[in-house]
Amino acid sequence: MISRVAFLRLGSLNDGPFVLFTLNTISHMIEVQDLTKQYAGRTAVDHISFKVEPGEIVGFLGPNGAGKSTTMRMLAGYMPPSSGRASVNGHDVFQASMDVRRSVGYMPEMAPLYTDMRVKEYLRFRAELKGLSGKTLRQRVGDVMDQCAISDVRRRLIGNLSKGYRQRVALADALVHQPPLLILDEPTNGLDPVQIRHVRELLKNLGPKHTILLSTHILQEVEAICDRVIMIHQGKIRAMDTPENLTRKLRAASIVQLELQGKGDFIPLLEALPGVRKATEDGVQDGWILFSLRVEARHDAREAIMDLCLRQKWKIRELHWQLPSLEDVFVELATTEAAKA
Amino acid sequence: MRIFWVLFKKELRAFFVSPVAYIVLALVMVLSGFSFRAALSVLESAPSEGSIVTWTFHAMWFWLSYFFIFPLLTMRLFAEEKKMGTLETLFTAPVHAWQVVWSKYLAAVFVYCVLWIPSYLNFRFVDWITVGQVEVPEGALKGSYLILLAMGLFNLAIGCFASSLTSNQIIAAVISFTISLLHFLAGLFIMVVGRRVSETFVDIINYFASMEHIRIFTSGLIDTRPLVYYTSFALLFIALTHQVVEFRRWRP
Repeated sequence: MISRVAFLRLGSLNDGPFVLFTLNTISHMIEVQDLTKQYAGRTAVDHISFKVEPGEIVGFLGPNGAGKSTTMRMLAGYMPPSSGRASVNGHDVFQASMDVRRSVGYMPEMAPLYTDMRVKEYLRFRAELKGLSGKTLRQRVGDVMDQCAISDVRRRLIGNLSKGYRQRVALADALVHQPPLLILDEPTNGLDPVQIRHVRELLKNLGPKHTILLSTHILQEVEAICDRVIMIHQGKIRAMDTPENLTRKLRAASIVQLELQGKGDFIPLLEALPGVRKATEDGVQDGWILFSLRVEARHDAREAIMDLCLRQKWKIRELHWQLPSLEDVFVELATTEAAKA
Repeated sequence: MRIFWVLFKKELRAFFVSPVAYIVLALVMVLSGFSFRAALSVLESAPSEGSIVTWTFHAMWFWLSYFFIFPLLTMRLFAEEKKMGTLETLFTAPVHAWQVVWSKYLAAVFVYCVLWIPSYLNFRFVDWITVGQVEVPEGALKGSYLILLAMGLFNLAIGCFASSLTSNQIIAAVISFTISLLHFLAGLFIMVVGRRVSETFVDIINYFASMEHIRIFTSGLIDTRPLVYYTSFALLFIALTHQVVEFRRWRP
């Protein structure tokens, strides 16, 4: 379960308005139609359809096991769909797998690498596999090592590198043949905050020339870099929108946690406050009563709660505004969409 | 073809960067030294029918090394990539399955050929040191290494296939070990019960028995049947390996 405190915001939201680059091509970079994948009787991806335009940075957002990786594997040409169609750069992922693989830079989850190779050697090997040679190969390998800030470890064995470095080696591998489309499965997983910021900057700068589809389960990540977000849960697309719109939706219900001491009817008084939808008592901890309140969208009820406590002469130990966990959000999205339908 | 060479180079590199190739090489060197010595002492003790080649490849030491080579060379090939997840990066690069399968297989075959160089040199050295006192029949020597190559192609193909089935190297090793052991035991079985069963039965079993093949080839005869048997089955198992690797792409 991912719960996040509001002040922990790593991404830079204040970078000004997003600039959308539109290239003059008729076809979409990714076109997915009714894509379905079944694994051992379980439906991992369930009839999803979406399009990605050239130059877009699209975030795949969802909890673990939502079907993000499976979708990306199908788009990268690693496994075929059970039914439905998907095309990348105008090539069908099943019929023209080789063309698809040439136009995709794919970075799998967990960044699998040959641990007995050295960084530069590995990147040279990968670049050769992807058809580079001679001077271009040397230049590209040098360039991506600089871009991903791994030049300082170029002679080290991959097996001896930290998770952060490995992740960036895998990213460099995805970039090395300058593919029009990058498919990155959790590119910032396992990085420290400084490295995360670095990778995000890097991806943002790639933006205009490359189309990027990246998956994550971190909300801040999509807010920081994506033009569009596709939310996926239990194999189905739950929402598809710009991060701004989605964030507004996500803040639909936040939770305030309280620890109080005192006398009186806590629940009715708390629920009477404007914006508070529901108050529940979560038990008692060394003399303090724990409450959690569900608060309406765009209502910061903390001040009103403080005032109430002062009026009632309750003692207050904790007042904490918590954003809902992603799981909560998905459940809420799912139920509201079911209600709409 | 360029992609094949890139992959082949990488596979060879993997053998010689890890200790595997050196350990197997050392093992085979020591054991072929032992079997050579055993052959020399047989010739020394009494006049015998067989040549030094025959006795070298009939020594227990030879068979001991024979069993360990194939699992050690092949268990890693696919199982390791599966376990580490690198098969995913490999097959999302523009490479065909046949390029991957053949590069891995032929790299193993190459290392296998290198393994027998010291044993071959033994024969050359004895000729040189004794100034031709010990007779080394040229035909038998060539025949022996020919059948060794054929057996290698076969067993390495099986090892390759076993490795593609699982992500556990131990399981892959056990499968390929079992198959080469069965081929040896078939010959042992005939040696034990040979006189008591019908001739047809002996013929059929001998068709699979590695010991019998070694016996024929080390006496300087070239029998095409085992050669066809080993190479055709090698091709079959490489084709099967290809299918297993490609299955991922066809699984609905």
